[in-house]
Amino acid sequence: MRRVFHKLFFVWELEKEQAWINEMASHGYSLEHAGRLTFVFDETEAGKYTYKTLILKGHSGSSENIKYFKFLEEMGIKVVCCVNYPGVCWVYTRALTEEYPEGIEVYSDIDSTIDSLKISGGYLIFVVLFTLAGAALNLWVSLGGTGSFSPINLVCGVFLLCLCTAATVSAIKTYIKISKLKKERAIHE
Amino acid sequence: MPQLALTEAVFYILLSLQKPLHGYGIIQNVEELSKGRVKLAAGTLYGALNSLVDKGWIDALPENPESRKKEYVITKNGLSILKEELARLTELVDNGNRLLGGN
Repeated sequence: MRRVFHKLFFVWELEKEQAWINEMASHGYSLEHAGRLTFVFDETEAGKYTYKTLILKGHSGSSENIKYFKFLEEMGIKVVCCVNYPGVCWVYTRALTEEYPEGIEVYSDIDSTIDSLKISGGYLIFVVLFTLAGAALNLWVSLGGTGSFSPINLVCGVFLLCLCTAATVSAIKTYIKISKLKKERAIHE
Repeated sequence: MPQLALTEAVFYILLSLQKPLHGYGIIQNVEELSKGRVKLAAGTLYGALNSLVDKGWIDALPENPESRKKEYVITKNGLSILKEELARLTELVDNGNRLLGGN
């Protein structure tokens, strides 16, 4: 049986989204398709699959990413679906839990982990700048920038400012993680 | 510029590729060689294989139409790098043993 869920995860909630998808899988629902707000699950054997969400640079249809997906498939990791955003793509992958009992680990060294965090960090900075510009514009309009007070723009402005703050906190956390890993790399491989 | 130390992952990948292997075979071989201590993840292996092909240390063999899995094998250049690294590691171990009183 197919079930469709509409759920919103912000860009900084990748781990939360992945945990939710894995929880659904543990209850017998395997993710078959994901959109920006839509998740389609099929009923399956509970715990059959384990999921991992990745952020990759570029469009999911780029030749580099297609080569990478093929390689992952050779490793028993299937790409379920991809969602494209400006400059990056969200890739939903899964593998049989019996083949990956400890979950899918895509990076086992510091350098690859840093490279992956840099992609997330770069995208978060884009979100920070985008929401900041949107918030500033809406607040300027709401406070009479075009001649009259606009409550709708005030609400939009405050909402975007909240998003901007959350994205900033997440970006800072990501770059702190990168910095710690770089220090670690100076001592350990 | 002197040859920089290889990462553990690269050392084991080169060591594994003295016979042609595909990605999953490399992961299994490395795990076996290191008695389960080194577990290469798919993304890390993919990045390492691409870099090694670019450097000419390994070759990607033509795809086998039966398995549809790409296999890799070490090159002459790769083998010479691996031997240099082994000499470097031997020096480390020898010095460590000498100064710490090991065997």
